[in-house]
Amino acid sequence: MLKRLLATTMVAGVAMTGAAFADGHSNPYAEYEGTTLVVNFPAHPHYNAVMEVLPEFTAQTGIEVEVDMLPYLDMRERQTLELALDEGAYDMIAYVVFSKADYVYADQILNLAPFFMNPRLADPNYDAEDLIDGYVQNIGVAGGERGYLPGPTGSLYGLPFGSETSVLYYRTDVFEEHGLEVPETYDDFLALACEIPELVPGMGGVASRAASGHQASHAFLLHLAPLGGRVFGDGWDPTINSPEGVAAAEALRSIVECGPEGSSAFGPAEAANAFAQGQAAMFLDSIAFAATFEDESRSTVAGNVGWAPHPVGVRAASQTGGFGIAIPRNGANPEAAFLLMQWLTSREGDLAVAMAGGNPSRFSTYANEELNAQYPWSSTFGEALADADPDWRPIIPPWGRINADIGTTMSQVLTEGLDPQEALDGIAERTRALMEEEGYYTWQ
Amino acid sequence: MADTNYDRQNPAFYVLIAILILMSVGPVIILLANSMRLDVDITSGVGGLIFMPTIRNYETALCDILWYEPEHLRFCQIRFGGAFINSIIIALISTALTLIFGCMAAYALVRFKFMGRDTVSLSTLAVRMIPPAVLLVPVFGLWNNAFCLDNDYGLGAWIRDTFGGRGDVCLAGTHSGIIIVYVAMNLPFVIWILQSFIVQVPKSLEEAARVDGAGPFQVFFLVVLPLIKPGLAAASIFTFRIAWNEYLLASALADRDTMTVPILIVNNASEFDGLGTIFATGMLLAIPPILFTLFASRQIITGMTAGAVKG
Amino acid sequence: MNRSTPYLFIAPAALVMALALFYPIGYMMWGSFRDWDPTQNISETEFVGFANYVRLWGDAFFWESFSVTLIFAFTVVVVEMVIGVGLALLLDRNIRGMSVLRTLFILPMMIAPVVVGLVWRFMFHQTYGTFNRFLNWIGDTWWGNLLGIGPVDWLGQNPLLSVIFADIWQWTPFIFILSLAALQSLPRSALEAARIDGATGWQQVWFIKLPLMAPVLVVTMLLRLIDAFKVLEVILVMTGGGPGLSTEILALRIARTAREFRELGEAAAMSNYLLMLLMLLTLGMFAFNRWTEARSRKLKFAAEEEG
Repeated sequence: MLKRLLATTMVAGVAMTGAAFADGHSNPYAEYEGTTLVVNFPAHPHYNAVMEVLPEFTAQTGIEVEVDMLPYLDMRERQTLELALDEGAYDMIAYVVFSKADYVYADQILNLAPFFMNPRLADPNYDAEDLIDGYVQNIGVAGGERGYLPGPTGSLYGLPFGSETSVLYYRTDVFEEHGLEVPETYDDFLALACEIPELVPGMGGVASRAASGHQASHAFLLHLAPLGGRVFGDGWDPTINSPEGVAAAEALRSIVECGPEGSSAFGPAEAANAFAQGQAAMFLDSIAFAATFEDESRSTVAGNVGWAPHPVGVRAASQTGGFGIAIPRNGANPEAAFLLMQWLTSREGDLAVAMAGGNPSRFSTYANEELNAQYPWSSTFGEALADADPDWRPIIPPWGRINADIGTTMSQVLTEGLDPQEALDGIAERTRALMEEEGYYTWQ
Repeated sequence: MADTNYDRQNPAFYVLIAILILMSVGPVIILLANSMRLDVDITSGVGGLIFMPTIRNYETALCDILWYEPEHLRFCQIRFGGAFINSIIIALISTALTLIFGCMAAYALVRFKFMGRDTVSLSTLAVRMIPPAVLLVPVFGLWNNAFCLDNDYGLGAWIRDTFGGRGDVCLAGTHSGIIIVYVAMNLPFVIWILQSFIVQVPKSLEEAARVDGAGPFQVFFLVVLPLIKPGLAAASIFTFRIAWNEYLLASALADRDTMTVPILIVNNASEFDGLGTIFATGMLLAIPPILFTLFASRQIITGMTAGAVKG
Repeated sequence: MNRSTPYLFIAPAALVMALALFYPIGYMMWGSFRDWDPTQNISETEFVGFANYVRLWGDAFFWESFSVTLIFAFTVVVVEMVIGVGLALLLDRNIRGMSVLRTLFILPMMIAPVVVGLVWRFMFHQTYGTFNRFLNWIGDTWWGNLLGIGPVDWLGQNPLLSVIFADIWQWTPFIFILSLAALQSLPRSALEAARIDGATGWQQVWFIKLPLMAPVLVVTMLLRLIDAFKVLEVILVMTGGGPGLSTEILALRIARTAREFRELGEAAAMSNYLLMLLMLLTLGMFAFNRWTEARSRKLKFAAEEEG
């Protein structure tokens, strides 16, 4: 199947370059032929798909790409180091959304404006309008409202690539057998989560991340935004311990309690695995897992998986996350790196990656018929993106510590029976002290 | 000890011994078994110890040094081969250096009456007490910043021109950077062990050699070293073991070209697919220690007891 | 012989240790007084006095880590000493299979901690782990059912216990082998004398063997205690320090503070606290060692006189 996919991409790609040459223009890549770009990617389904498409880039442009693939938490750590050097090893990096704050603030990644202004580099057919706006704003733009959100003062530092939102996966066979309705609201969703273990003995309601640290924090924030909460209110006042926050913590706790066995230690991989092995009826997580569940060598539920938008609470707010790509300031070949970046996120590149199992960054890709035939969930996901919430978590430099605090404390709520209100009060207090130290209250 | 000379014992002792042996070997057998199973079989758990072994996991792990492309792989992600070579380079060189430096120092401490033996054992113990985690912060800072050569002129420029690479020439990210830490970490222990062996070398032998006109270095290398071989064997196994198995400092210092196998394992331990692959990687890492155990257990025990009892 | 020869012999070792051990420790002390970020050269950082130390003093997470570390280290050392010495006393006899046991018993210590962590994480897995499968199997028998035996959420609900088990598996052999060696080097005359005097097995163990072994046992315990504070990889792979902070030993917290939070100054201060703790423990054990050595010498002397 993969061979066939690649062949399709190849045809599309060749057609593209063919057209460029036929116009009588010189090859814009000629100058960079023979360059080797060193790029840093996370080990992630999207980037696995990219790996399959990269040879095509080299074939078309003559630019070699060497990939350093790391698990994404390690990737961030490696980048912290590399970006601080005078001359770094990477020409292009994929970054986790919340790294945007660190890198932009420390002036470590390049503003993309000079590249898009450069007539020799910028492809006039790039069609930036087609990029999914929510992603670009969330992942690429910095300097606007609150510093991390878009706004009149914002500018572009990266492009979304391997970005994702959250959707609800459910077992169509189980839902059908017991006459269950796919939950559209949080109330239904939470009720169903604990109803399923009673209906189907041995099956958990929802498989969720919950492992101590980043995973528990992620899972909590996933419910916080739809239930109406925010980590910070106006003036960077921590509001995580609001009644909405407590509701989110309680939601997570009941999900884990009614989830498959061993839930409290699940990372995304384990949670997805539990769903894929038929141990849970629902899975609320990234769109990136869709292809895995249909792969029969890794999933016992292939063919029985349905997709629905993230349930709605007080507001419809699915997460926005995943990765973007950027050019480090200390890279050796920024221009060739830009060409790669542009190629990967172009209409053709995005489609090729999507066909290989990646997450689209363009509306046109989601609308593509061939893709929908191949991956029937695409249109649902495209619709789900309408409710993607760019502000579901703050993207500020101190976030790493706050995130770790939430993760640790939330894990204590899940495994040691710590009271949610008490836990969140503690986080709020420590966060306030941290924000004070970091100077966020200077203007008050 | 002749085989026939065993005392007759209560059968309960044999049962106890059998259980202890099973307990110490059991997890290793589980490791081996899982490394030869498909992921689906590991998680579904059918079959117990009776299953159809597959080498697929090993193919995935070793994909960067195989001469053919395994069919089940989309691309080669785990570069075990490279990491394995790095591990070997780092472990062997640091073991060799530790032994050479350690021997010489131990010899001097014993023969030239540098410090009292009490002082030496106290200070080696004090140094041995330092956990690697404590070294993490300073070593990381020094190796990345202070211990660097500017790449614009002099030696730094020469290294960059000759070996390529980018940025200032720093200890971090090089094999030498990791090796030097391991040598320093292992020296106290090696000096401690070797001392207890050198003390037993009769002084008269050395004096005889000296009368024959040998210099102090000749005496050391030609007379003393051959006599303390058992000590050297024990010390080298222990040093190799630490250099081969260490994760924390290596992970802070290595870059993608100098990454060692333990880093590879930790990095991939939590990935979604590849449970079997990670067990295969672990098994490959465990092979040298297993061989040591089977073929050099006597030396290992000597080393352990020398370290504790005679120190 | 040249006067400088001894120095030449010592120089390489001294140089390496100075460069990669003592200088870094000094550097760490210096860094602990600074607001230090991994992206900065330390000379560019701000001097903050004891701020890092003071902040840790009031940090509940740090203290929790601190107590987890102490609980872990002392539990494993005590349990391993009891089992290890007990087995040595029990198996100190000429018996078939001992040499095989002595060989294979070293295996756990030799294998990389990351691999040990990997295997134990698997064995403790909630659904497909070895232990829970075994418990399930027992639970399915009529008597197991009667006793209410079933799977345990090892890493979720009993994380500290789980990592302690793994450490006991890995390191009890160390104590066993050292105590066995100590036992076998005891003066036979003293034991003979005791036997002739009609001492029972227990009395021999309690009044002769253990006191005579004491100096070695104290050193063994000290070595093991020191190493227990160095454990990191097994826990990192098994639980990553979680859930919550339940297995986040200090070494792990130092690593996280330095690498995840990028607070090198604070991590350095934490390292210093750990170092101070270890120093105190070592000194304490040394004093204890002196005492037991003097006592056992007296004992040996008495025994020999009697024999």
